[in-house]
Amino acid sequence: MIVSCPTCALLCRASDAADPGRCPRCAGDLEHRRHDSLQRTWALIAAAAICYIPANVLPVLTTSTLRSAESDTIIAGVIYLYTSGSWPLALIVLIASVMIPVGKLSALAYLLIGIQRGSFHASRARTRLYRVVELIGRWSMLDVFVIAFVVALIQLPPVMIAQPGPGVPFFAAVVILTMLAAMSFDPRLIWGNERSRYG
Amino acid sequence: MAEGRDLDDLPHAIAVQQRRTRISLVWIIPIVAALVAVGIAVERLMSEGPTISIVFKAAEGIEAGKTFIKYKDVKIGEVTAVQLSDDYSRVEVTAQIAKSAEGLMVQDAKFWVVQPRISVRGISDLGTVLAGNYIGFDAGNSKERQRRFNALERPPIVTAGQPGREFVLKAKDMDSLGIGSPVYYRHLQAGQVVGVNLAAEGTSVEVKVFVDAPYDQYVRASTRFWNESGLDVSVGASGVEVHTHSLATLIAGGLAFDTPSFESQADPAAANSSFTLYKDRSTAMKQPENNVANFVLYFTESLSGLSVGAPVTLLGLPAGEVSDVGLDIDPKTLNVRGRVEVTIFPERLLGRLSETQGALAKSLGVGTSKRVAFLERLVEERGLRGQIRLSSLLTGQRYIAFDYFPKAPTVKVDWNKESPELPVVASSLPDVEAKLTSILAKLDKLPLEAIGTDLKSDLESLGQTLRETNKLVSHIDSDVISGLKTTLQDTHRTLAVAERFMQNADTTLIGPDAPAQQQLRDALKEVAQSARALRVFAEDLQRHPEALLRGRSEQKETRK
Repeated sequence: MIVSCPTCALLCRASDAADPGRCPRCAGDLEHRRHDSLQRTWALIAAAAICYIPANVLPVLTTSTLRSAESDTIIAGVIYLYTSGSWPLALIVLIASVMIPVGKLSALAYLLIGIQRGSFHASRARTRLYRVVELIGRWSMLDVFVIAFVVALIQLPPVMIAQPGPGVPFFAAVVILTMLAAMSFDPRLIWGNERSRYG
Repeated sequence: MAEGRDLDDLPHAIAVQQRRTRISLVWIIPIVAALVAVGIAVERLMSEGPTISIVFKAAEGIEAGKTFIKYKDVKIGEVTAVQLSDDYSRVEVTAQIAKSAEGLMVQDAKFWVVQPRISVRGISDLGTVLAGNYIGFDAGNSKERQRRFNALERPPIVTAGQPGREFVLKAKDMDSLGIGSPVYYRHLQAGQVVGVNLAAEGTSVEVKVFVDAPYDQYVRASTRFWNESGLDVSVGASGVEVHTHSLATLIAGGLAFDTPSFESQADPAAANSSFTLYKDRSTAMKQPENNVANFVLYFTESLSGLSVGAPVTLLGLPAGEVSDVGLDIDPKTLNVRGRVEVTIFPERLLGRLSETQGALAKSLGVGTSKRVAFLERLVEERGLRGQIRLSSLLTGQRYIAFDYFPKAPTVKVDWNKESPELPVVASSLPDVEAKLTSILAKLDKLPLEAIGTDLKSDLESLGQTLRETNKLVSHIDSDVISGLKTTLQDTHRTLAVAERFMQNADTTLIGPDAPAQQQLRDALKEVAQSARALRVFAEDLQRHPEALLRGRSEQKETRK
């Protein structure tokens, strides 16, 4: 059985079907499939899902003006944008900050469930789905980026101050965890286990 | 290259004995995430204070999510909703109170809207113009928790925990006082009026005042409170008095308190104790007379200008005051006469005595029988009588004076009555009037016309005399003076001749153009010229001695 070293890409013969051993060139651990891919992805998805709740419940931005201070959650921001008439902007924020994380998590969960059930139906489509998830991942930090900008720019102490809310780190955690989950997912599993197909 | 051979060439992996754990360590990540999330949720729930509702008459400037509740300028809550009450008459404000302030939400806690206020005493809470209105809060003393409150319409003047004490003053009416009117102690602002209630029966008002520490210690059981409001102009027997306090009290009213010097300065008054509010300082600070003697006097003359409170004097010194002025029908003659009741304060009179005589006076006035005997002697033997007198011509105020009238007819006084009737004498004032009238009458009778004619003839004869004098003088003029005149004229002529002679002498001898002078001047001029020529000659000689021999040289130019 031939294994490619994940570190130096050297092709070598696995010493054992269950445990391929180490790479003879770089001494890296050899794996048929990414190590514990399913379990890791599940764990990261779970962590991201947990973080998703405070990310949406806690305020992400606190703006204090002379008259008052306002703390807004992401949803409140979307609602504010919508009611103030700029619905395209509201839609962008809604998609980028609320729907995409949910979409990524459910897509990965769907892929994982599919693999665990041993279903190989529409494997190509599922692979494409995985690629989309991986691609979107890096763009999901938009919100965090905007908040960082706003906080840095709006600092006019007596009149107006913007401060990041406690929801921001959770939101960032959601994005990072889903990215890690997507990375730890081994798309080759979509096509079956080494034993089931080529074993 | 054949694939098979290449595959055969592939190196063999190093076999390792590895124990694979069934459960990956990666599960720590979701566990940590869950713990953090749960921790935050728990903290949020724990820090969440109670939700209360406050009922306002009007929610001026109150907005959900923007208006805070502040206690001592610290934010303790936030308005979460503003809505109308069920019957639409009030505004119900729902607020989220911080957990730390949960204990403050007790039964007698106070809420009110803080907004800029402008009053006579100044402008307050100007900051809210920019920062917006907020809900003020003041803690209560109750222990009973409450979640629904009725807001105050205006900020409370005294906040909880402010050192000082509250007192209740009973007054007939509010005058110009209002909530917030200042309370002064020796012209220092010592407190404020914090509340006004109509007494239950509606006949008086109860004014609640808060006296700040440390002034509250000067409120004693015997302290008097009085109204310092506005301008106090009183016209009394002693003239016109104008009394004002600060400008603020002139407009907004005010109270003052003090303890009279004759009262005990010891025991401070208990909080919420009740006092009488007097109408002015003099009434408030008046010494209460515990030993009084009442008398009644009947007059048959006018009582105009005599008012209740008018002074009663004994030998010109204050001895009491008029307590009532009215009418009376004499049971014997059925005549209507004036009735004046007077109150005499014997203590005041005793106070006027020198110390050594105090004991003697007391011995005379202690027992009733002794006092009666003393008074009897004064009135019946010495002729002490009451009389109405004018205190001021300007105001027409009158007072009652007791003086000795030895010539007055003797009377018997019934001293056993509660208010013995004291004998009076007619006012001396009508006498003045009568005298004035008689003077006028006498003036009227004067033979002014006869005097006029006499005066006229006198003046005529005077004119005659003057004329004669004139004639005499003119006679002197014509006879004596004319002789004198000729003599003078002669003298004058002689003098004129002399003058002319002198002038002649002038022109010939010393005048600027006198011939003698002219000649002399010419002569002198010539002498001067000769001298000059001589000098020139001498100089020439000095320079050119040879000129003596050769005559004047023509080479003068070259030598130069």
